Amino acid sequence: MTWNFERVAGPCKGRTGGLAWDGKAMLFSAVAEERILRYDPSNGETTVFRGWTGRTNGIAIAKDGTVFGAQEGGRRVVHFLADGSTAPTQELLDGAHHNQPVDLTIDSKGVVWIADAYNATPPYGPPAYPFLPHASVLRMDSYGPGSYRLTRVTHDTAGPRAVLLSADEKTLYVADGDVERGDVCQLFAYPLDRHGVAGHRKTLLNLAANERGIEGMCLDSDGNIIACMGWNKSGCAPSVVVISPGGTILDTHPAPADVPMRCAFGDADLGTLYVTAGDGGLYRAKGIGRKGLKRS
Amino acid sequence: MHGLLETIAIEVDLCAPGWERIIDPSPPVEIIARDIIFGEGPTWDARGKQLFFTDIIGDTIWKWRPGVGQEVVLSPSVKANGTCLDLENRLVVAGWGGRTVFRMEKNGTWKTLADRWQGKKLNSPNDIVVKSDGSVWFTDPPGGLLNVGMVGPDLQRYLETQPVFRISADGKEMTVVAEDNTYPNGLCFSPDEKILYVNDSRERVIRAYDVKPDGSVGKSRVFHKYTGPERGVPDGMKCDVDGNVWCTAPGGIWVHDPSGKPIVRIKTEGHHPTNIAFGDDDWKSLYITNIGSVVRTRVNIAGVPSR
Repeated sequence: MTWNFERVAGPCKGRTGGLAWDGKAMLFSAVAEERILRYDPSNGETTVFRGWTGRTNGIAIAKDGTVFGAQEGGRRVVHFLADGSTAPTQELLDGAHHNQPVDLTIDSKGVVWIADAYNATPPYGPPAYPFLPHASVLRMDSYGPGSYRLTRVTHDTAGPRAVLLSADEKTLYVADGDVERGDVCQLFAYPLDRHGVAGHRKTLLNLAANERGIEGMCLDSDGNIIACMGWNKSGCAPSVVVISPGGTILDTHPAPADVPMRCAFGDADLGTLYVTAGDGGLYRAKGIGRKGLKRS
Repeated sequence: MHGLLETIAIEVDLCAPGWERIIDPSPPVEIIARDIIFGEGPTWDARGKQLFFTDIIGDTIWKWRPGVGQEVVLSPSVKANGTCLDLENRLVVAGWGGRTVFRMEKNGTWKTLADRWQGKKLNSPNDIVVKSDGSVWFTDPPGGLLNVGMVGPDLQRYLETQPVFRISADGKEMTVVAEDNTYPNGLCFSPDEKILYVNDSRERVIRAYDVKPDGSVGKSRVFHKYTGPERGVPDGMKCDVDGNVWCTAPGGIWVHDPSGKPIVRIKTEGHHPTNIAFGDDDWKSLYITNIGSVVRTRVNIAGVPSR
């Protein structure tokens, strides 16, 4: 089955990044423009959801409708509140400033799972704090309004680029490695116990050197992983692939543009796949024969 | 990220003819404060014979007296940044993470002088200076909404520009002085107050503005642009009595003559200077705030008194 992508917004300056369906429209990050935009499929209009985002990339919507963002430029997860203000969260992991979050997801209990990577673009401000000696997935638990604690989840990652939870939230998928930093890119599945502690990982994908790995992923209603990966520069072509929970590549589709970034389902019944890309566009493909997972 | 304080030394380089009138080849170095995270906002208080400075990330305004030591003035300090003294010798503070400009009253309470522009929250007031007519001038870049460890409770930006503001001496009127900087940071006046210098950390440039009698300024001109490969950006800035402009900038503290030409560079080797203040009775001590410390050295020319 051919997936027919059309560009519905952009091109923005630089790569577009994280996406989140708010029930009526698709929020997406124009990272270099430091804006989160909102594409409304009912009228085709794109408006500004939030400006001055400090290079926020990955975004996720909490149960109360507020938005959490992975602010690459400020080395923190931020909380975009309904009144238009933005609150910082917890910037310290065991007393040390963590790296540059690029992606995040929120589970049914409200825990925020964070891909805390090293990044090509340095953070804002004077270099008062070194980066952590590791780049890991972190989890952020809330203890009342504005009060958070960070915990390290993975101890074996080179630099996670994307995080995703299985439908039952018992498996954490982690896309690890940034080819632009020379990493080998892989996709891991970590079993999570009931306390959210990760067990021994299983490697689902292990790419060759110089192949661009997964930068963003989402889940379909069958529990398969939809992932953006590859580029024209080397290795596998820019692709959107469907990966089974066991790691089998079920489908490979040409991405709508080079350097596909992240993806999310949207529209009525979550029947449309949206993709961001290196050319700064927002693309969508309708009627792909798959729907997004509706999380409770 | 800084070197050991045990081995800190002041060195000079980039020496142009006549540099000896600025500083000696091997100036002394004295550590004033070591248990701080991010030093900023130094101001010498001649009446109190004490140095005010801030630790932005440590969230504290400090004062230090020779022979006595360090004492907390305010903590938490809303991640305060630049400081200066007004005509009544009150400490006036650029409130950075707290997005305000505030003043310490004679009774020890704190009064907010500015927190909004046209109904919207300020960006993050960075550095501040009081002119001899009592007006308060400050830069308002967005760094206090972004920088690691420096933000306050609301880090959303609301203003479209990053102005230099002026608050009138009576505190009743606030105006935009200049809006042509990408990231206005340090600011100071020439000794006769006819020129306002503003540096821009993003563009690595110092701009000069002619100051008009009504408190507005003319079109800016580029005073100096830093083009070298060294780390660091223009940050804190002060003038000496000859009108030379001293600026913490790439690789150290640059001293420029009134035409903008560099005369000498002063380095706190292995350390990252953020701001400077002239002080002590002869105004010939140079207090340097670094990431991680405050140090003092001696120079051969007096600074413009901070009050």
